[in-house]
Amino acid sequence: MADEARKKEIYEKLRNGVIQYDEDACREGAQEALDAGLDANEAIFDGLVSGMEEVGRLFEAQEYFVPEILMCADALYAGLDILKPHCKQMDLGVRGSVVIGTVEGDVHDIGKNLVKMMFDVAGFHVYDLGRDVPLDKFVDEQLKTDSELVCLSAMMTTSMVGMPTVIEKIKAKNPDCMIMIGGAPTSKDLADKWGADGYAEDASNALKEAIKMVGFLKKLRDEKLNKK
Amino acid sequence: MNSRERVLGLFKKEKIDRVPCFSGMGNITEAGINKLGYKFAGIHLDAKQMAETAATTFKLYGYECGVMPVDLCVEAEAMGCQINVYPHAEGILYPTIKEKLIHNEAEMDTITLPANMGELGRVPMMREAIKLLKADIGKDVAIGSYVLGPFTLAGQIMELNDLLKLSFKKADKVAKLLDLMADAIIIVAKEFEKAGVDYITVREMGATSDVLSPRVFKNLIAPPLKKVISQISVPSVLHVCGKTNDIVTTMVETGPTAISVEQKNDVAETRKKLGDDALIFGNMDAYNVLVSGSEELVRSTVRKCIDDGVNAVWPGCDIWPSVPPANMLAMMDETNKYGGKK
Repeated sequence: MADEARKKEIYEKLRNGVIQYDEDACREGAQEALDAGLDANEAIFDGLVSGMEEVGRLFEAQEYFVPEILMCADALYAGLDILKPHCKQMDLGVRGSVVIGTVEGDVHDIGKNLVKMMFDVAGFHVYDLGRDVPLDKFVDEQLKTDSELVCLSAMMTTSMVGMPTVIEKIKAKNPDCMIMIGGAPTSKDLADKWGADGYAEDASNALKEAIKMVGFLKKLRDEKLNKK
Repeated sequence: MNSRERVLGLFKKEKIDRVPCFSGMGNITEAGINKLGYKFAGIHLDAKQMAETAATTFKLYGYECGVMPVDLCVEAEAMGCQINVYPHAEGILYPTIKEKLIHNEAEMDTITLPANMGELGRVPMMREAIKLLKADIGKDVAIGSYVLGPFTLAGQIMELNDLLKLSFKKADKVAKLLDLMADAIIIVAKEFEKAGVDYITVREMGATSDVLSPRVFKNLIAPPLKKVISQISVPSVLHVCGKTNDIVTTMVETGPTAISVEQKNDVAETRKKLGDDALIFGNMDAYNVLVSGSEELVRSTVRKCIDDGVNAVWPGCDIWPSVPPANMLAMMDETNKYGGKK
């Protein structure tokens, strides 16, 4: 087992690899973590995700823009691909599955892919429907997979307006399913009006919202079970 | 002074009686489509249907222009992309591109424009539609059309994900592609001019400061935009979505007659920055106010836009077709009442 200093050094390498969009550094760091016998989950969260948090901060500060974020995401995945097979079943207090896609009429999927990445690192099972997805497909996939979460993404105002229909249909069939909407034109007001449980303009908000929602869902189910 | 004189006078920076309410982007409404009994998916493919529908927003509400096309795929289609108009959709879905033209980095260097691009896709149909619209309402209102900006067009014909990363990693390669996109856009704009449009809006929607840094906008996005705008002989408007306060000066430097921004722009600040002489349109929230807001919110937003210094009450995006008729009427009425006071 590696000593604390070595561990810190490796996590720092992963973290900086993400921040400096250095895929090679992330690959090397991930391999070093495994060779040193470090816990893969911990390396993901204290290394890669910690780097992505800093990237989120740099984005908010307008030091980074979308091209940089996409390159950071590539670096994160370079490390994640190596570490993930070595992850033990994660116990983060949240575990779940999510159906995600960009709604029909919209072929933009960058935001959706960033959100998906956050679910990937958090250990969710992700059913990615891709982009330009017919509305009924979200409803069918949710039923088929019994996912706790459905995430609808839209980049353009012109495609966002299909969202309330999907929300209504899913809630009619499965009231417990949580729905999150996301994308540049969405807002908290719209989410409230359309009956969505959460909204996120960007990827870092989406993960926070998602974890909050799954936690809430778990509580709901526990309460129901206790009543029986 | 009728609407046509007012809008054309504004572009010439002549004295006009009040701020006009018009736009250079999509503005057809469900009320208009339903009145004609057309299907949304059909109006993109038929010159007569498109022209008749485009006239309805003026005829129903007095909106002070007629604008076509309705979708954003004309250039990419003429370059060889297949489009999907979603013929079976129940609701309204705007056409999208089915298949990219550039599939990998190497193809960025080998792509060329078709020799007769001005005769391909729906470009000839657009010419016909513009003539029909002009014959119908061209004496009453100015007739506008729009083209995409080079970066937005590039994002349609290749993966946006790759385009964005390459804008950072290989800016020279992207610059070369954007220059070619500028050529494609100029071909289409020239055809619109031949058909008789009064003004053209260049929609560089994807190059917002929400996505790209002001530095990249200046170095990479602005030069091909300048090329396009310099080739447009009718009045031109440059529109960029999202956050734009840090790039408005660069937008003006590309040489359009006017710039257009959306609600994320602090227009009072933009006015201060650009001075009294610049033509600034937009800032009217096309969805959260015009479609989902109350009549009173529409009216107060019109007043705020005018107070903040816009030269035209101009929705910052396509008007979503389900806009309540009462809100359209409120926007027109408030502009009429308040637009001469400043």
